[in-house]
Amino acid sequence: MRHLPEPDPGTPDTRSATRFLFWLVRKQWTTMTLGAFWGVVWMVSQALMPAAVGRTIDAGVTAKNSGELWRWAAAVLALGCVTGVAGVLRHRCAVTNWLTASYRTVQLTARQATELGATLPSRIATGDVIAIGTADTSNIGSTMDVSARFTGALVSIVVVAVLLLAADLRIGLTVLIGVPLITALVGPLLKPMHRRQSEVRALQGRLTGRANDIVAGLRVLRGIGGEPEFAQRYRAESQQLRAAGVRVARVESLLESAQVLLPGLFVVGVTWLAARLAISGDITAGQLVAFYGYAAFLVIPLRTITEAWGRFLKAHVAATRVVTVLALRNPLRQGTESVPADASRTGPAAGTGALADTRTGVAFAPGTFTAVASADPAEAIDLADRLGRYRQAEGVTLDGVPVDALPLSRLRRRILVADNDARLFAGRLADELTPAANGVHCPIGAQRSPGQPIPPGQPTPSGQPTPISDPLVFSPTAALHTAAAEDIVEALPEGLDSAITERGRSFSGGQQQRLRLARALLADPEVLLLVEPTSAVDAHTEARIADRLARARSGRTTVVFTTSPLMLDRAENVVFLVGGRAVAEGRHRELLATVPAYRATVTREED
Amino acid sequence: MAAAPAPPPENPARQALPVAAYPEVRRYAAHVARNRGRDLGLTVALFALAAVAGLFGPRLLGALIDGVQHGTTAGHVDVVVGLIALFLVLQTVLTRYANLAAGKFGEGVLAELRENFVARVLELPLSVVERAGSGDLLSRSSRDVDALSQAARFGVPTTLVALVTTALTLVALALVSPWAMLPLLVIVPPIWVVFRWYLKRAPAGYLAESARYADMTDGLTETVDGARTIEALGLQQRRVDRTDEDIRRQYAAERYTLYLRCVFWPTAESCYIVPVALTLLLGGLGYIHGWFSLGQVTAATIYMQQIMGPIDEMLAWADQLQVGGASLARLLGVAGVPADREPSGARPSGEDLVAADVRYSYIPGREVLHGVDLSVRAGERLAMVGPSGAGKSTLGRLLAGIHGPTEGSVAVGGVPLVELPLGELRGQVALVNQEHHVFAGTVRDNVVLPRPEASDAEVGAALAAVDALTWVEALPEGLHTEIGAEGRTLSPAQAQQLALARLVLADPHTLVLDEATSLIDPRAARHLERSLAAVLEGRTVIAIAHRLHTAHDADRVAVVEDGVIAELGSHEELVAADGAYAGLWESWHGRGAAAGERIETAKQVETAKQVETAERIETAERVQRVDTVER
Repeated sequence: MRHLPEPDPGTPDTRSATRFLFWLVRKQWTTMTLGAFWGVVWMVSQALMPAAVGRTIDAGVTAKNSGELWRWAAAVLALGCVTGVAGVLRHRCAVTNWLTASYRTVQLTARQATELGATLPSRIATGDVIAIGTADTSNIGSTMDVSARFTGALVSIVVVAVLLLAADLRIGLTVLIGVPLITALVGPLLKPMHRRQSEVRALQGRLTGRANDIVAGLRVLRGIGGEPEFAQRYRAESQQLRAAGVRVARVESLLESAQVLLPGLFVVGVTWLAARLAISGDITAGQLVAFYGYAAFLVIPLRTITEAWGRFLKAHVAATRVVTVLALRNPLRQGTESVPADASRTGPAAGTGALADTRTGVAFAPGTFTAVASADPAEAIDLADRLGRYRQAEGVTLDGVPVDALPLSRLRRRILVADNDARLFAGRLADELTPAANGVHCPIGAQRSPGQPIPPGQPTPSGQPTPISDPLVFSPTAALHTAAAEDIVEALPEGLDSAITERGRSFSGGQQQRLRLARALLADPEVLLLVEPTSAVDAHTEARIADRLARARSGRTTVVFTTSPLMLDRAENVVFLVGGRAVAEGRHRELLATVPAYRATVTREED
Repeated sequence: MAAAPAPPPENPARQALPVAAYPEVRRYAAHVARNRGRDLGLTVALFALAAVAGLFGPRLLGALIDGVQHGTTAGHVDVVVGLIALFLVLQTVLTRYANLAAGKFGEGVLAELRENFVARVLELPLSVVERAGSGDLLSRSSRDVDALSQAARFGVPTTLVALVTTALTLVALALVSPWAMLPLLVIVPPIWVVFRWYLKRAPAGYLAESARYADMTDGLTETVDGARTIEALGLQQRRVDRTDEDIRRQYAAERYTLYLRCVFWPTAESCYIVPVALTLLLGGLGYIHGWFSLGQVTAATIYMQQIMGPIDEMLAWADQLQVGGASLARLLGVAGVPADREPSGARPSGEDLVAADVRYSYIPGREVLHGVDLSVRAGERLAMVGPSGAGKSTLGRLLAGIHGPTEGSVAVGGVPLVELPLGELRGQVALVNQEHHVFAGTVRDNVVLPRPEASDAEVGAALAAVDALTWVEALPEGLHTEIGAEGRTLSPAQAQQLALARLVLADPHTLVLDEATSLIDPRAARHLERSLAAVLEGRTVIAIAHRLHTAHDADRVAVVEDGVIAELGSHEELVAADGAYAGLWESWHGRGAAAGERIETAKQVETAKQVETAERIETAERVQRVDTVER
């Protein structure tokens, strides 16, 4: 058996759904071939069974020859065992084929999601990407699975046709013409079924979306008593799906009955022809029995072919969806990764991290702790996104280099935008807080010696994990202290080793916010942009965080987007943003005194 | 596979929802069979008739071959073939309607099942759902429903039909000669042993397979949903590793079930041929010794070959039925979560909310509230303040009856909240927190959740009360604009406004607002809160807030610290008491003091700078207006 998952899923051919499917096949051609081989052995051994039984009766029983009887009975037994063994070997290959293709698709999808990154939601509905994992991979896998039986079916039909042709040209030709004819007759039913199945799938997707809504929105529903109405809506959509399912069943039942009728007519036709030939003495009675046996056997491969056809169609739909996602390119990344290294490798020397934006007129000196207060919070978020190049960032420079010209991965390591939409992931808390600098897994507790300020993104010559300049900042304990989050960890049964749930849902809003802050601090970027990092914590805690933040980030550029007076008061410099432009700059107290609009924005006192 | 692999262990990181036990599954299946007896009966009858019609063809064909062997006319051949064709058409028609009936039956059962499932999930205690994670629920509602769909639509009827066919063929075999059944007995012990072995392990194996699959989809969902965070923090490799690790675990589960099949299938398949070979051998020897006729041997051989089809079908579907049963167990399992409320039928005799010695722990042994006593008068405005993590939100949820307290009680008008049915409870007390989830649907759909019958005018009024009417009306289709997962994305502040509009529409006499305006910018929040207060005149409001102006305006302030109410009283009383609240207030008020202090010095700052700044603000605002127009 193959070792799965493969470390590298490879680069898919995303030019079309069909090409993608063939690419998958090429990637696993060994088990595909082996599966096809066992499929052929399995099917042909079944095809030969009528002949073997016939020989036993003719040569053993009818001839009253006990030697032949023993020999042929043993042959029948052996043939049956071959069928059994080949069947299970084929199944092992088929399962491997299914899983290999499914897993590869999941791997590609996950990798593509990380590649698209922040641009993903704007490019495609997240539900569509998730549907790949829940449905499309199965459909693609099942097509790989059926391929072994499909090959076996094709070969066994050829074998039977050759045997018949050798015995009688007319019967042989009837089989050779009849088989494709039947397949072609069943074919037209597959299209409408395929269409209705897509319809069911779309509805199923919607319904799955509703189920997702339940989990995400149950707190909201519970608070307000919306459950009956929600259940009502779910029921309505579920009934729509039921109706669509019945429509599919209508076509499917036609297909089922066609699969009874057409091969049945074929068997009857061949038998009738053979019977007439036997009466006229063209073939022997024994041959008639054999012909009937072959025709009856052909029903199995015929069914397999129809089944495989249906699966191919489904897989094509699934592959179309997968290809749509995989073919997307990250618009922020395009054309910038190949920028000459000199522009991006502006050294790790002290005094870097100067961020400026000509459009808004803000400039943050290296190593400063600045606050940005905006009358409109949306403008603050806009600016943070521009500075971090989560959107078009013309005019934004980092140490004089336009951020547009920096490779995105390097830029992300140097500038971190930490906002309140950031996710906490399920896993061990310590792991989830630890930064992934350089892609080198930086173990908790790793410390770098003081006075060696190497920014993340610069591997040390020895290739060791980025050393840490200030153990106070870069141990989780210290980061949790800065974020005033120690109490959260203390309350957990296993402290930092505790498992946290998806999105950190078991924590309150304020707790989540503090954990996110600790995570951002541990990432220790050259430039840290914090968007309303204390909006959900109380005044005491906020004051503590504000005090500690400046110290923890000393020597590194930090920008806090906030309207909280406590935070603003601790900043070395405050920029006041109106209409998306910097209109005033100075210390918090200075601005309070001189700029009435600023005072109105940041003080909560009654006017 | 060299050694027998063990079933993979459960993922310890998550507390999955329970899975129903076997008797429960059986009870449910019986319940469905009773409730939809007619549909099921029709389906099975049609399948059985189709099977019987299908038995005629081979018999007539056999007779035809016999006839040809012993000499017959072309006319007779034509008649028999015509008759066969007729039965074939009959079988075709019956098959079509049998499958259609199965489809209708299956879809009906499935719809009922998933609707019941969702209805149950909606009643689950919140903590249970949150601990389980969305992947568990999602895979139950999609993958398990699908697996069950296969079993219900095809598995059950096919198995029943196979059973009937096997019985009919056995009768035919016995009629040929009772001795003819002997070869069949030979394979019963081995098949029975291996089948038992398989069935004992398969359900756990398939359950583990489903659970690992859920973990895999869960991980993928997190990766897709958190794509921006992953990019920002450079977590790409970690997510890729997590995906691969999930796949590894799923693969282990798949390999276990594959191993089970690899033992079961070849044994069974090899067994199928033994009776055929034995019949040929023993029958042949018997014919040589003159104990049986040639016809008996031939017929017994044909029947023996024919009986293996339905037997194989039953064994094959046993596997599928196991999968379906496992899925059913997972769907029914949600009912096994102990209810956290038990309606007693008592009716509240007032609107006073009283918490008495309330204790609560999310994890046993880790208490977060240590005996809270609190009494809120009808119409009172109570503010709850305190450091993050002190237990404010937990207390808020208990006061809104979302959780029952671990010890102690929370009662409205003398009736514990957990003894009120959910519908009744929400008429009494409702809660809005900082969670800003937007449901897929229109704006209207989102707002009317608590009162589906509300008119557009009422919805408009509710939106106006939370300052949201303006932007809602500016949407392309106003109230009927699609929002949420498949529609327009709202800002967190807008989502919070919708949540508050829902509350206004729900109109309970007591409201718990847990940081309900925290995502709205301070100036807008102040305006919103005033407008909301006007609408909520006379309602009891419990507001959890970190903005102290809320506390300042409240009738009473409760300071929650370390899971207890440390101080309780009016703003003035607490400031005078010089305790924790006074400290908070000072820290808060310090901002104002700082401002005041600076106003003194302001006079020393050049007026020129003020003028300059004012001009820049004006310019900026003008430019912004132009921008807006251009946009």
